[in-house]
Amino acid sequence: MHSDVTFFSFNRHYIMSIDSFHKIILPLKDKLFRLAYSIVREQAEAEDIVQDLLLKLWSRKEDWNYIDNLEAYCFRATKNMALDRLASQAIRKTGTLDKEKEELYFVEHQSPHSEMVRKEQHYLIERCIDELPENQRLVFHLREIEGFSYKEISESLSISGDLVKITLHRARKRMKELLSEYK
Amino acid sequence: MNSEYINILLERYWNCETTLEEEKELQDFFSGVGVPEDLEQYIPLFSYIRMEQSVTLSKNFDNKLKAALEDTDKNRYVTIRIYTPLLRIAASVLLLVGLGTGLFFITRQNNKPHFTEKFEDPNAVMQQATYALEKLSNALQVSEAASMQTIRDIDDLNIDWSSIDSLSNLLDDDMDDSLNNTVEVKKDGLNKIGNL
Repeated sequence: MHSDVTFFSFNRHYIMSIDSFHKIILPLKDKLFRLAYSIVREQAEAEDIVQDLLLKLWSRKEDWNYIDNLEAYCFRATKNMALDRLASQAIRKTGTLDKEKEELYFVEHQSPHSEMVRKEQHYLIERCIDELPENQRLVFHLREIEGFSYKEISESLSISGDLVKITLHRARKRMKELLSEYK
Repeated sequence: MNSEYINILLERYWNCETTLEEEKELQDFFSGVGVPEDLEQYIPLFSYIRMEQSVTLSKNFDNKLKAALEDTDKNRYVTIRIYTPLLRIAASVLLLVGLGTGLFFITRQNNKPHFTEKFEDPNAVMQQATYALEKLSNALQVSEAASMQTIRDIDDLNIDWSSIDSLSNLLDDDMDDSLNNTVEVKKDGLNKIGNL
């Protein structure tokens, strides 16, 4: 008798979670990837983080009922996972920087001048953003790249709406300063 | 789009007063052609934002994820979840079978004689049997002789049997007395219980 009951509830959960996995979580995958990428700055690593997160969520689908905002939860979890990876790879990071410089060198010799300038500018902005404090970088990313409202950002990072605005203001101010410096 | 409007929008952008739509307008403006020279410095920022917005996961991500999901489903849910009750039944059946065979062997062991011999030839059986019986009768004869010897030895001692007999009579009288006493005590007790 007892095993019959658990089997039934398992089935119900299963169907419910397949639904929310396809309707809520999967459509977020590119956004989650971009967030992870903005932190680890490495395509393969960021993809790995997203896959890990989705697998973890899938394997704990019974817990979804207790999460009130699944979408915001996904962003928080991605942010935390990416920061953890970054911390555990602090040594390897110097290596990737060198690789990027190498790419730039390659670009200089192969592409037309305007393309090179554009890539260089892109890299410059990326470096400026990387120089921002962590919370400013995250808020900036969610607002500018993902087009999140202040409310969405505050839920995704679990900080107050006022703090979101203040942090974004500081980030934009700093970007403005950096842009005039490099002019 | 006139640059005055863009300047106002930019000013509001730095102060975080723009809406998402206005921010989109700014991105469109700076990604397009004909940006005034005095605003060129901001092109990299907005074109960076535009470019980063179009970054997506690689094409084979979905396939990799699907394969990984199927793997976890197989591991987690099929074997553990569904078969747990079956495993329980199997475990109890195994336990019963184990106990059954154990008991069967123990009882069979008890029924077994401690040693057995098998003979094909009837003469050999006869020989073995006579040998065993002769051994037995010898032993009996020896013990008979020994007890006869003991009786003779006792007779030689010349014991005064009458005094020993009287001793045993005395003992018998004592035994009778004590028996009578206990019976009386019991009767008393029964009477007391009856009175209550």
